[in-house]
Amino acid sequence: MSIGLNLMENKKINAGITVFPGSNCDMDVYYALKDVFNLNVSFLWHKDEFHNFKNYDFIVIPGGFSYGDYLRAGALAARSRVMKSIKEYADGGGIVLGICNGFQILLESGLLKGAMLTNKSLKFECRDVYIKNISGNNFNKNNNSNNNKSGNNNNRENPFTCLIEKDAVLKLPIAHHDGNYFAENNELEDLFSSGHVAFQYCNEDGAVSDDSNPNGSLKNIGGLFGENFNVMGLMPHPERASEKILGSDDGAKIFNSIIYYIKNK
Amino acid sequence: MIITDNSYKSDNDRSGNCIDDVSDSVHLPLNKDYAQFGLSFEEYKKINDIMKREPDDFELGIFSAMWSEHCSYKSTKIHLKNLPSKGSAVIIGPGENAGVIEFDGVNVLVFKMESHNHPSFIEPFEGAATGVGGIMRDIFTMGARPIANLNSLRFGNFNHPRTPYYLSEVVKGIGFYGNCMGVPTVGGEVVFDSCYDNNILVNAFTIGIAKKDAIFLSSACEEGNFVVYVGSATGMDGINGATMASGEFDSSKAKKRSTVQVGDPFTEKLLLEACLEAMDKKLIVSIQDMGAAGLTSSSFEMSENSGKGMILNMDKIPLRAAGMTPLDIMLSESQERMLIACEKGKYDELEEIFKKWDLNCVIIGEVTKEKTIQFIYKSKPYHTLPVEAVVNGPSYDRPSAVPLYIKDVKQFLPDEYRMPKNFNSVAERIISHPNIASKHFIYRQYDYQIGTNTLAGPGSSCAVLRYKEFNASADSANSAHPADLSSGYSANPADLSSGIILNSNCNSKYCYLNPYKGAMLAVIECARNISACGGTPVAITDCLNFASPEDPEIMWQFKEAIRGITDAALKFNTPAVSGNVSLYNETAGAGKIYPTPVIAMVGYIDDAGKAINSNYKDEGDNVYLLGRLSGNLGGSLFMELVHNDFMQEPLSIDIDYELKLQSCLRGLIDGKLLKSAADISEGGLFTAVSEPAILSDKNLGVIAEIHRDGLRNDMILFSEFEQAFVISANPSNEHKIYEFAKNAGIEIEKIGTVVKDIIKFNNIIELKSGKIKERYYSAIEKLFDNKTF
Repeated sequence: MSIGLNLMENKKINAGITVFPGSNCDMDVYYALKDVFNLNVSFLWHKDEFHNFKNYDFIVIPGGFSYGDYLRAGALAARSRVMKSIKEYADGGGIVLGICNGFQILLESGLLKGAMLTNKSLKFECRDVYIKNISGNNFNKNNNSNNNKSGNNNNRENPFTCLIEKDAVLKLPIAHHDGNYFAENNELEDLFSSGHVAFQYCNEDGAVSDDSNPNGSLKNIGGLFGENFNVMGLMPHPERASEKILGSDDGAKIFNSIIYYIKNK
Repeated sequence: MIITDNSYKSDNDRSGNCIDDVSDSVHLPLNKDYAQFGLSFEEYKKINDIMKREPDDFELGIFSAMWSEHCSYKSTKIHLKNLPSKGSAVIIGPGENAGVIEFDGVNVLVFKMESHNHPSFIEPFEGAATGVGGIMRDIFTMGARPIANLNSLRFGNFNHPRTPYYLSEVVKGIGFYGNCMGVPTVGGEVVFDSCYDNNILVNAFTIGIAKKDAIFLSSACEEGNFVVYVGSATGMDGINGATMASGEFDSSKAKKRSTVQVGDPFTEKLLLEACLEAMDKKLIVSIQDMGAAGLTSSSFEMSENSGKGMILNMDKIPLRAAGMTPLDIMLSESQERMLIACEKGKYDELEEIFKKWDLNCVIIGEVTKEKTIQFIYKSKPYHTLPVEAVVNGPSYDRPSAVPLYIKDVKQFLPDEYRMPKNFNSVAERIISHPNIASKHFIYRQYDYQIGTNTLAGPGSSCAVLRYKEFNASADSANSAHPADLSSGYSANPADLSSGIILNSNCNSKYCYLNPYKGAMLAVIECARNISACGGTPVAITDCLNFASPEDPEIMWQFKEAIRGITDAALKFNTPAVSGNVSLYNETAGAGKIYPTPVIAMVGYIDDAGKAINSNYKDEGDNVYLLGRLSGNLGGSLFMELVHNDFMQEPLSIDIDYELKLQSCLRGLIDGKLLKSAADISEGGLFTAVSEPAILSDKNLGVIAEIHRDGLRNDMILFSEFEQAFVISANPSNEHKIYEFAKNAGIEIEKIGTVVKDIIKFNNIIELKSGKIKERYYSAIEKLFDNKTF
């Protein structure tokens, strides 16, 4: 897929990136969105609430160690002022992508179900992994009308994977200490049956197995949607794989999906 | 201010027994236990002279910290000045917090390597973590945003019972700090050897990027500036750390725990952002981090470098422990603190930034014209100390002598050693030796990709970083509205082509056998790795790890190593722009480390897209040997493993040939004629030919055949650091490659072909790629079988 689709038009899309004390992927996401995808990007400071929701087509909560990950990863950030606004933003349908620590923050703030435990290895794990898109419907590329919005549970439109084929395998890097996803059994079943699991860790060929699970996540879950599919938590880092020179540009598929969705909604 | 050899009685002085040559200048009451302060009798006498009376504990504490080996380099500075530090690329050489070299005319690179050996042996997690934290502060103190870390680690014998503990904790500590800071750990080296059983080495390197016209120095204080303390509060940790690190260990190691600092990378991340933001807004006149000897070294050195003095009010220092004495405060090595000189009129703006990042920011004094530090305590004048005398401690030309063991280092004579019968088993032992095997178990614990610049990370012979405009202004983090965002990244991805190549090296066994050759080899090996990626060596930093300088044999090793680095660095035109010395790496009764002068080198490549790695790419490609073979097995891993004897003279390097060879290799890579290149280091030609197959992602193998008159198979396969590279290329390029090598005056020979599944060498080695791959990747992990920490 060519990166960025129509880059000139992208300039009209406004993205916000949260900055907590200890955020450290904020610059990388900023660089990817602004310089690779040509979006209009700004930062959201953790101490400030915001109410100008219309100024943001989507918001990214980037990776890092917000508030030093003290107490629990994401726990303090979830109670910050900026997250109060982001919850309102998301409740109103705003698109929110939480990457790595951002995923943890979304879990801690209740926008996603479940929790993150320490990796099964008890170690920080940094490496390239494969994830499989198991989310349903692709946004209809040949038909910009909204006639596919009424899909069933397994056939939902969402901003994050709408340009990604179902079962497509993406190569993305992980870098985390607490990415071992946990949910109660019944909750887990619900997440799958309602189509809320976005990505599962897999091997290069798409097989979901223990061998391809880098952190011990239940059911190899690496990406998860919020209730209304406008929020996604993703453990791997798409911003680190958005250019060929970095070894993979599969991450661009996720950003391009968001951009495409916004342009066509 | 050099005390001559004769007047210095090291061992006796330390015990305080030798008072025969008491000076006649002052009366010496001798009721101070100066040895407890780590001072020699001569040094104590000198302090009496300076103060014109007997110093009290506060004064003695300050002097002893600043005169410690760690802060004063007193045993080495007369030798360090011999290292080449000038060159067209050098903007700032040794003397500041880090060295600075030219990058692209607008930006500069700032880098340095530093040891944290002693703290890491006492408390490996905190020691390693704060080592990483300390070196990063050195870099951003100068106004540079750190873009990459390397680390060079030495642990004891792989089978030593404490090795897994040290390895596990040190790696965890490095990851803990670097990962949280968001600075990628892109490479390094890990070596196991018995000589480090009781003295592990943790050397940390950071490189940062700054605007050429916005470099910050410790030497810019002006009279009337506020002296401002920013960052963490001061606690009881790390007190006297510099003095501790300037002595060898004895059985009381357990008691030294409070001398180790405790790190908080989260605070340092805030400090980084706040400092860069304040620098960007030009609110800082001068700045130095509080590293070794904490507030003492930062205040005295800033004053000395600026030719000024300071008033310091001890009542203003933010504290996190009760009952701290002024001396505790001055010697605390609590982490994540900086000392800043700021124009009075700009203080409010400075404070606003640090408050925004939830950090302490306190005026603790003022810069004065008088070259003294005037301490105020409990609102009263407390002490006044002269800056120059405290900073410019003693300097020694310590005696040196050729070590006795050197006479046991023989020439390598093949006839004295029998060839192994089973080459397959030797090959497997070599490839699964922890010093050769994959370190992925270690580097997967480091975030090596953050920053999205890492084109080649750990596991490659060099780290390759692309350059993109890093300077997203810190203040943009505060803009709530899209319209506010005027500054930030401005790079166009299409222009992101130039690259930075980094690596570090040192084979300490070779340095033990011949410190001159070994140190020279460390520089050459760095250059080889950079050339093998297609890059050009530019500059080096060094971290010189040795045992006690009070032992003349060790001093000889040190001087020889300096000579070796100097000769190689001059030839390669890679000046040493910064560096660090760590001495007393020995433990009473348990031996000394081999001399370990670690070199880290920075290289450039004009087009990062042209950089190659060592991995074979495609079946059917040809494999060539570019260069020549000596067959000298002296000091090799093979000799140690198979014959349990490595006491032979290492090979001699023809450095002019080496320059030609590396230049030829770079030319071939620049011409896009090669798919891979590997130098011949530990494990010899066998490893250099096999590893590229093991590292390939297509289960490739190699069939190779190479013979030389007068060289036995073991000499061809396992001799190390040969002046040659193993390269692979599409067969259609053969003619061009031969022509190019011929014109460069370099020998080239086709030695093999890239195949599938199998590694064959001279019909004496035949191994399945899959099996050897498994051994290569599992060797380090095996150390942790059934062990938890």
